Amino acid sequence: MAIVKDKVDAVIVGMGWTGAIMAKELTDAGLHVVVLERGPDRDTQPDFSYPRVVDELEGSIHRKYLQSLSKETVTIRHGVNDTAVPYRQMGSFKPGTGVGGAGSHWSGCHFRALPEDFLIRSNMEQRYGKKFIPEGMTIQDFPVTYEELEPHFDHFEYVCGTSGKAGVINGQQSEGGNPFEGSRSREFPLAPNPNYLGAELFYKAAREQGYHPYPIPASNASAPYVNPYGCQMGPCNFCGFCSDYGCLNYSKASPNVCIMPVLRQRKGFELRTLSQVLKVNLDSDKKRATGVTYLDAHGHECEQPADLVVLCAFSLFNVHLMLLSGIGTPYDPVSKSGTIGRNYSYQNLNRVSMFFDDTVQANGFIGIGGGGTVFDDLNGNQLDNAKAGFVGGGVIWARQPGNGPVRGIATAPGVPNWGSDWKKGIKEAFRHSFYYEVQGSCMAYDDAYLSLDPTYKDGYGRPLLQMTFDWHGNEIKGSQFLVGKAIEMCKSLSPLSMKGDAKKDGEHYNVTQYQSTHTCGGAIMGNDPTTSALNRYLQSWDVPNVFAPGANAFPQNNGYNPTGMVGALTYWTAKAIREMYLKNPGPLVHA
Amino acid sequence: MSEDQQSPSRRRLIKNLFFVPIGVASAAASVQVLQTAVAKPDDANPNPYRPSFFNADEWRFIVSACDRLIPHDDHGPGAVELGVPEFLDRHMQTPYASGDIWYMQGPFVEAAPEFGYQGRLALRDILRLGIKAIDAYCARQFAGKKFSDLDVTQQETILKAAESGRLKLDEISEKMFFNQFLGEVRNGYFSDPKYGGNKGMGSWKMIGYPGMRGDYIDWVEVRDKPYPIGPVDLAGRRG
Amino acid sequence: MLGPALKRSFLLAVILAALVFGGLLTYALQLTETPDIGNNAGNGVGNSVAGNAATANNDAAPQSLVDAGRYVAVAADCAACHTTPDGKPFAGGLPLASPIGNIYSTNITPDKASGIGRYSLKDFDRAIRYGITPEGGTLYPAMPYPSYARMTDQDVRALYAYFMHEVAPVASANRSSDIHWPLSIRWPLAIWRKMYAPATAVVPVNLAKYPDPIVARGAYLVQSLGHCGSCHTPRAVTLQELSLDESQLTYLSGGPEIDGWVAVNLRGNDGAGLGRMSAPEIADLLRSARNTKSAVIGAPMADVVTHSMQNMTEADLQAMAAYLKTLPASVDNSTHYVPNSDTANALKAGKESGRGAQLYVDNCAACHRSNGEGSAKVFPSIAGNPTVLAGNPVSLIRLVLAGSELPSTKTAPSNLGMPGFAWRLSDSEAAQLVNFIRQSWGNSAPATSAEEVAKVRKTLVVAENNAS
Repeated sequence: MAIVKDKVDAVIVGMGWTGAIMAKELTDAGLHVVVLERGPDRDTQPDFSYPRVVDELEGSIHRKYLQSLSKETVTIRHGVNDTAVPYRQMGSFKPGTGVGGAGSHWSGCHFRALPEDFLIRSNMEQRYGKKFIPEGMTIQDFPVTYEELEPHFDHFEYVCGTSGKAGVINGQQSEGGNPFEGSRSREFPLAPNPNYLGAELFYKAAREQGYHPYPIPASNASAPYVNPYGCQMGPCNFCGFCSDYGCLNYSKASPNVCIMPVLRQRKGFELRTLSQVLKVNLDSDKKRATGVTYLDAHGHECEQPADLVVLCAFSLFNVHLMLLSGIGTPYDPVSKSGTIGRNYSYQNLNRVSMFFDDTVQANGFIGIGGGGTVFDDLNGNQLDNAKAGFVGGGVIWARQPGNGPVRGIATAPGVPNWGSDWKKGIKEAFRHSFYYEVQGSCMAYDDAYLSLDPTYKDGYGRPLLQMTFDWHGNEIKGSQFLVGKAIEMCKSLSPLSMKGDAKKDGEHYNVTQYQSTHTCGGAIMGNDPTTSALNRYLQSWDVPNVFAPGANAFPQNNGYNPTGMVGALTYWTAKAIREMYLKNPGPLVHA
Repeated sequence: MSEDQQSPSRRRLIKNLFFVPIGVASAAASVQVLQTAVAKPDDANPNPYRPSFFNADEWRFIVSACDRLIPHDDHGPGAVELGVPEFLDRHMQTPYASGDIWYMQGPFVEAAPEFGYQGRLALRDILRLGIKAIDAYCARQFAGKKFSDLDVTQQETILKAAESGRLKLDEISEKMFFNQFLGEVRNGYFSDPKYGGNKGMGSWKMIGYPGMRGDYIDWVEVRDKPYPIGPVDLAGRRG
Repeated sequence: MLGPALKRSFLLAVILAALVFGGLLTYALQLTETPDIGNNAGNGVGNSVAGNAATANNDAAPQSLVDAGRYVAVAADCAACHTTPDGKPFAGGLPLASPIGNIYSTNITPDKASGIGRYSLKDFDRAIRYGITPEGGTLYPAMPYPSYARMTDQDVRALYAYFMHEVAPVASANRSSDIHWPLSIRWPLAIWRKMYAPATAVVPVNLAKYPDPIVARGAYLVQSLGHCGSCHTPRAVTLQELSLDESQLTYLSGGPEIDGWVAVNLRGNDGAGLGRMSAPEIADLLRSARNTKSAVIGAPMADVVTHSMQNMTEADLQAMAAYLKTLPASVDNSTHYVPNSDTANALKAGKESGRGAQLYVDNCAACHRSNGEGSAKVFPSIAGNPTVLAGNPVSLIRLVLAGSELPSTKTAPSNLGMPGFAWRLSDSEAAQLVNFIRQSWGNSAPATSAEEVAKVRKTLVVAENNAS
């Protein structure tokens, strides 16, 4: 028999970025909110305290701060007719867990989206004709515009202490920023961080090619900062342990640092950790959620009734919960009907590493997760897609989140993996090399989607989420194009040697190598309930008292990191709930 | 973790890790061969590490393989002198090596290499099985000699063949085993000394990694000179 | 066999002792007369916190008086001792360590059986300002009645109204102390009280002494309700505070060790005191436990900020700060800070003068920086820090070994924390590190020793044991 808890106004699944934003916004509106987080509570002290946290074996091999795959993972297959096998060891993407979620172990790159990213389908069609978008590429326009999200982009950046330089303020060009960005209402809250060597040289190399480099907007504070909630951040000291680790000195933006201190003080807020939500409960019509069922820390099954259910469990697990709970119709790739699981997309990353002599003090152990230098000349409307041969775009950047020997030392071409020559190679490379990366967009396809696996189960007896995804020719072309441009640019730095790893024709998605945790789509927002799971307010078309903020809402992924957009969309959703939904619960959009 | 409370005096640079169990045939011959690579127990190191996970045969393989993969040379210390075999023995006894963070449920099916290891062995068993399989292969190829009995060139050949999957072993994918083993050897070579390897921060000194310092704001914009401060380990000692 | 002279002397000594004992006992047992403050009698109305709200008797109190009393209770921080972390408000039971054993705070809810529900206003006043129980006994001076003695009558009336009419009664029997006989004999306490907190000393703070009304208000709060001297003023061997106001240089010049922390010097010393802090910066500390350069360390003062000062009015915080700024340096002014960039230059260039510098680079610089200045409102400056420059290094040593965490306050919710380094530093290393920071960036304070560190480290283990 489940233990039935007292009903609350809203139950939120997950205490990461979207969960923390929603909890803050809903408690602002006077709601009584319960947040159920499957992992443990986490805070800078004691969980990320200096110096213990910078232990590579614990963080990068034992993956202490990431989600363990033993109880919950996904299965993956390339094609619709393949058999999916479990993602057994962490590789390609790294979901988080605990209070803060992936928001505690992310790097801090904090972009918005280009205005044209919101209108990619109509933009491509207008520029190149309808036939330019291949059959099977199911990209869609967003049902919101950049202008509608601008205040929320701005607010989230101020919550995070994002350190950068604006390029366009109220329509006016501003020196030092991205000249191609959507107009901002004001400057960033903090100025950019200092440049490590690779970032500094990037300006020179990029300008020589005629590109317009600017500082990557980094939610790694460049100075002491108090955000609009009164929460305090400290300046980044370039410790080199952003990625996969919690921040040791309050400088990387995270739910823990930027929102939790205020939330924890609130009487209307209750956090239950070690609480695994198993499903959303629906009434008999399946048109209304009555709450959620979860396992508490002792393993007792509990029911949390609520008027409002907000899924904040990370993109993949939001979709998983919707499928498990019978919210909406699962997507079928054969009939191409159904909405839950469709339009899964990822991120297209590759890298060019450069090796220099020992006069070049590159010091790979110096790192800042979100900082560096980037340009948008091959992104959005700046790219001639017809010439480049692919739909989408991407950025090229200098980034150095920090490296260490356990995490892996890149060596120059020709250096073997072991033996005396390897030792020589790592000595020469470790403090005298750096890399530039290309981060490309990833379109959505009718054969890339999420569903429930028929065979494998999680630690709670539920079917695992099944991911069907592979690289399409479009992304392979994009990778080759962007890496080619990057290599051209890198030549001007005259490294002793260089190696780039552009995707090869016919290459398959390799889950064993870390690429990115930007898993997007699966429960996308749209204007049409037959081709999207959520309306423009991230409200479920099928069950109006369920909202699902997260990157699951992206119909496809652009060349930027998604967190800035995810935060903005969550504030946008929260505003709709506060100003419209609470006054008149029900569908906010009538299709 | 209990390691935190160990006194620094217990962490000694252990030069010799080779332990010869009594009664094992060809022990004398093994010692003979290994003396080219590894120092004997002596008064300076009266207490070489005694493995509690690996047995004597496995241990011999590990010490020899470590010595090949990361040898002592002019570039810097080797894996054996830095205690990597000790690291391996201790690491295999952690929950991580038992598959704690891996998804270990069946069914276990063959899959393309892009999907990673799909077998049911945890890391500790992969290493065990792989060591046994390679030793058996050597015995077949070299008239009964195990890997540790071979000379340096022969050992290198075997390792290269394993690395490129040319041994064609039945019991286990030698390529997968090799990658896992090499990864562990590197982990032991480069992780904090508290885990048993990287004694005296020898590897960090070799490559110029500051260890557990995690503070570089003063050095981000320094271009004209190398970072001058030596490494510090978790226990707070300087290298 | 004792000779007759010796026998006589012995008898004389016994008689003398009996006479002295009898005299002391008589002196102790003499009842102390105290004035009645019922109705509107009393003085200091203009500047009391409770203002002018009238009260006739126990049973009817105007809401304004209850509200005023609630604020008095916040400013006097009754909860600090009379509410346990998991307990109901004011139900008592908090152990307070004394040199002779633990005593437990009493239930001051208006419960008639186990609390103060049967107290008249006079009983209440006699307890708070005179330290006398309704039965005529004396309270242990853990209750800071020598400070509360300076409250106005009106504030006492307001406090009474609050406790009787708003605080919820809780049935919770008082726990007797852990003090063993003969030290548990109470009547000698009366002697202490009459010598060091006589009834004649119960006089509200004379505000006319302070020309500036803001300073006057600050003086009132600091000396009476705030009872800051209970922790921050040194005590004689007989345990009374050496001074209760600014008339002596010992006032607030740094107190004894409490729960392992030594209360800082609040006077104008430029090294170990508040000499280089402005009044608004001091008010920041009171409001949120942190200012641009400095922070409150240790749980005892963090609790005061959390339960008391963050809930006081801005005007009152600024007033207390203004009063503190009027206090000149104390006699022991031996530690100093004269800004000097040598240490910063050396560390920034990677030059380490010795093991102390190495330890700083490896443990502290990540937050406190090579220039020792930390980051504004995030990590305190070590350069010129009063705790770093305190003559007695116990707090600093404790901080290095055990760390500290800021409280989450209304205006500054981030509970920024410093980890402890006891696990990483030997006694000798901790001493070298402490000595390094006390002599760097222009800091000048005497060295400590490994032995001193060892003593503090022992108390950490005790604290951990007590916490479980």
